[in-house]
Amino acid sequence: MNISINTIINMPKKWWEAIVLFYHKLGSPPSFYRISGYFLKWLLLIAIILAGIGFYDGLILAPVDYQQGDTVRIMYVHVSSAWMSMFIYAIMGICGLIAIIWRMKVAEAVLMASAPIGAWFTLITLLTGSLWGKPMWGTWWEWDARMTSELILLFLYIGIMATYTAFSEDARKAARMAALVAVVGLVNLPIIHFSVKWWSSIHQGTTVSLMGESKITWDMLRPLIYMAFATKFYYGYSMLKRARMYLLETESNKKWAQTIVMEEKS
Amino acid sequence: MRPFWALVKRDLTLGMRRKSQIYQPLVFQLLVVTMFPLGLGSGAKTLALIAPAVIWILALLASLLTLDQIFKNDYDDGSVESYVLTSSPLSFAVLAKVLAHWLLSGLPLVLFSPILAVLLHLPPSSYPTLMLSLLIGTPIFSFIGSIGSALTMSLKHGGLLLTVLVMPLLTPVLIFGAGAVVESSLGNSASQHLMFLSGMLVLSFTLVPFAAAAAIKINLE
Repeated sequence: MNISINTIINMPKKWWEAIVLFYHKLGSPPSFYRISGYFLKWLLLIAIILAGIGFYDGLILAPVDYQQGDTVRIMYVHVSSAWMSMFIYAIMGICGLIAIIWRMKVAEAVLMASAPIGAWFTLITLLTGSLWGKPMWGTWWEWDARMTSELILLFLYIGIMATYTAFSEDARKAARMAALVAVVGLVNLPIIHFSVKWWSSIHQGTTVSLMGESKITWDMLRPLIYMAFATKFYYGYSMLKRARMYLLETESNKKWAQTIVMEEKS
Repeated sequence: MRPFWALVKRDLTLGMRRKSQIYQPLVFQLLVVTMFPLGLGSGAKTLALIAPAVIWILALLASLLTLDQIFKNDYDDGSVESYVLTSSPLSFAVLAKVLAHWLLSGLPLVLFSPILAVLLHLPPSSYPTLMLSLLIGTPIFSFIGSIGSALTMSLKHGGLLLTVLVMPLLTPVLIFGAGAVVESSLGNSASQHLMFLSGMLVLSFTLVPFAAAAAIKINLE
């Protein structure tokens, strides 16, 4: 056994110290790159399996809705993407705070890696919502509270990415600028959401709610849960993959990144 | 407080020397308002129906014209750095800049709004609500805009980015601002909307200076 002096000093004594150590390790780009490497293929595998089960369950096994017919099956994609669009924004807001306050490079990487994924999920939500709206409401677009705030959410995502590209000659400054936009957006998002909700309630009288008053049956909820987890795992995979590339790119003048690139090449 | 008022006074003096910055947004508003009857037909009913929305959207667009100027010139001549270096907090300087910007661009919009209202046949009974809602709402434009301006001040062509950043954040202001005028033109009480607007003004007054100060600091690195 040869135990280097380094491991003895860093040896955690209590379990929470182990967690703190793990967290600090995640904060350093090389460790993040190494640790995230172990997770990548498992995340993708679980995502594919869950999505496979979810699609089979949702498209074939789940019952047809008595009012909406087969169009209800759009929900399994639509609702899980809508959840992701907000979930990812929340993660970006938190990463933004960390990036501004502690200037953690990995937080910047996660923030910028999440932005395009979140924007795509938002776009998918809008598109599937509009595909569902045509047969159900008879219109592609309705200025309903949820749709409007989802559209504004898409603008916020675009704003974050546009800020990053505008300052792209200095990646760290650009990421911190984008982080600030994300944080400001996070504070504003509830205000936007509730004001839009209130606005549409005075304009329209009744809004069609997606789930309705009736409770959703287990047979319909089950595929939704599969899909919700599948999208989460897919996000985990895609975000880590992008964050790794981001770190390699921004740290390309550091030794660890160069070694990895050389190893990949050979 | 002395540096605060000194900064406000300096900006007002500078603003008064560049009068085009003050009246051009108003000319812009007048021009666009002229386009509406030409496009829609001059029916008084139609115009009165869209008047609250048009006046509010025009206020938003007209302030967007000048928002990037809040910090841009100061960044170009280096005075932003002196705000950072002085002993008084940077958020105070932001407040001063916002106040000066509002006095030069927001207040004229408020005072000018009755003329637009006349042109668009808004019922005279809702003029006070219109002016009051603009009086509460336009400072929020300046506040939120100061974040956008602080973010984009070092860019050569930051105007479009500023619009993309600021517009989504200002949607609640538009909803409640135009909503207040709509309510009053229908003969209802607009106090709910106005209270929401005031709440947003207080919120931006307390939070925005810190956000804009953070943006300035990141931008100067």
